[in-house]
Amino acid sequence: MASPLEQFVNNVRTMSASGNFRELCEIIGKSDEVLQRNSAHLNTVLETLDIQQHSLGVLAVLVAKFSLPQGSLSDNDKSNMFQQIHDFINNCNGEQVRFAPDLYADLCHLLTDHLVEIKQPIRGIEILKKSIRKIQLFDSQLTSIHADLCQLSLLSKCMKPALEFLDTDVTGISSELGGNNDSKHFLLYYYYGGMIYTAMKNYDRALYFFEVVVTVPAMVVSHIMLEAYKKYILVSFILHGKILPMPKYVSQVVCRFLKPLSVAYHELATSQHAAIKHRETFVRDKNMGLVNQVLSSMYKKNIQRLTKTFLTLSLSDVASRVQLSGPAQAETYILNMIEEGEIYAMINQKDGMVVFLDSPEKYASPETLCVLEQQMAACTKLHQYIQEMDEQIQVNPQYVKKSVGSHDEDMPATSQNSKTTYTM
Amino acid sequence: MITNFDKLCTELEKQELEAPTGVASPSTYAQLLAIYLYQNDLCNAKFLWKRIPQNITSSNTELAAIWAIGQKLWKKDLAGMYHAISAYSWSEPEVANIVRALEEKVRERAFNLIGRSYSSISLDTVVSMTGLSREAVLHACRDRKWVIKDDGVTVNPVPPTQPAPLHTSSEDQLFKLTDFVSFLEN
Repeated sequence: MASPLEQFVNNVRTMSASGNFRELCEIIGKSDEVLQRNSAHLNTVLETLDIQQHSLGVLAVLVAKFSLPQGSLSDNDKSNMFQQIHDFINNCNGEQVRFAPDLYADLCHLLTDHLVEIKQPIRGIEILKKSIRKIQLFDSQLTSIHADLCQLSLLSKCMKPALEFLDTDVTGISSELGGNNDSKHFLLYYYYGGMIYTAMKNYDRALYFFEVVVTVPAMVVSHIMLEAYKKYILVSFILHGKILPMPKYVSQVVCRFLKPLSVAYHELATSQHAAIKHRETFVRDKNMGLVNQVLSSMYKKNIQRLTKTFLTLSLSDVASRVQLSGPAQAETYILNMIEEGEIYAMINQKDGMVVFLDSPEKYASPETLCVLEQQMAACTKLHQYIQEMDEQIQVNPQYVKKSVGSHDEDMPATSQNSKTTYTM
Repeated sequence: MITNFDKLCTELEKQELEAPTGVASPSTYAQLLAIYLYQNDLCNAKFLWKRIPQNITSSNTELAAIWAIGQKLWKKDLAGMYHAISAYSWSEPEVANIVRALEEKVRERAFNLIGRSYSSISLDTVVSMTGLSREAVLHACRDRKWVIKDDGVTVNPVPPTQPAPLHTSSEDQLFKLTDFVSFLEN
């Protein structure tokens, strides 16, 4: 009689040949244990299967093999792990693996963990990029592999490759990430993404990413949320000079728990000495670099404020008003700010004066029109997405049932109410 | 000598990512670092410098020299930057190419910045911001029609003229307008 393992191989072969992938997935889901128990023979099994033809089977075996406790993997297997997964992702049949996105993502998580462990994160970037493209149904779909890619980019300090994914706004979520599944990878993606944007000094986008983490509906506070909230505060300081209020749809727990846990960060707003007083906290949270940036951005904010009050000012006045060391330093700050387009001013070096100007933008140029057109196109697109989602929800059986059901409940309730009013 | 640095940049990035052990060759790193500086992409330059293995950064003087430029750029110390460029003799032709282009570009940016932000400036400051000799600066000022005062040390720069606005065809505009109206109507 065939052993369970042989049976598994046979199943994979016959069902792959007949294209019965959905059923095959179910069988694979159940044969977890068989594979784990026969870990010694997994390499032989791999040899009998073809990556392209039996992608699902190979995927299951690889996941089973590499999720064994690290101690039980031979050195040979360990050193081959990267190559094996690399080959699989390159050669597997995209259509087949889409039937088991959760397994596929698991394999990528395993690869990520492995590369983190051997401290070669940069090697995984290219292959994870490829693996995301392979499993995605459309470009703006978020998968749980995205978080892995961001993690590797951060660890290897090579962030440019992740930007092409981060820059695409998400319009859909792949099945292994959505639904009732763990939200860890979703939170991580936005948290890491925010960190990458912060490192790239794209604070606008970073703030948005941290905001997404904090506004995820939640019953309990996750650690990722807490760290994201701290960074949200810091980035908000750098960008706006104050803490932006949270949107109204933030979960209750956020207000209740996050604020008391990040008192030190809130104090930055009120006291100038907070940075020194809470130095230990900031260093422990590894946010000291950002805190220092907050402090230097305060000078800029103060100079910007001056432009609202004064038309002309001497450089030494600027220095004393924003507490810089002298006119030379004030001149450097102003020069840098003009270059960045943060203020509009003219320095007169001979008289030591600076003239603050209005923005030269008259909002009548072709560029403005171009920006306007882009914004309008984006809005139209957004409207379209919302409409599509709305339509999807309206035909969702669960939604229909619930909305009809509650309607039924409402009816007697109102009639009862009216009755009580009658009796009164 | 017009090379497409953007294209080279993508190629080098790919080389780095596909390096079998995760470590690329020093010359790849050197070119990539120089190109990032040329593109004024200081963040990426900084992280590239940080991720190059230490044994390469400490043994390769050229890389260290490129990053010395990067550091000055990061601090916006233009005078220091020209100094850092001239302090090293660039022997590798590929890198030397990029560094030369970088110097030109930074100088151009400095002239633009001066034009935009100063109504009067001392000649010495212009000299230090552009890393040119006094004669060359005087010449460049004349080229830009900047007024040099009678005392010979004060310059009154003129703001640079904006590049001519890009023209879009009216057909294109009409198309966009139709799109917009049809969206509003529906």
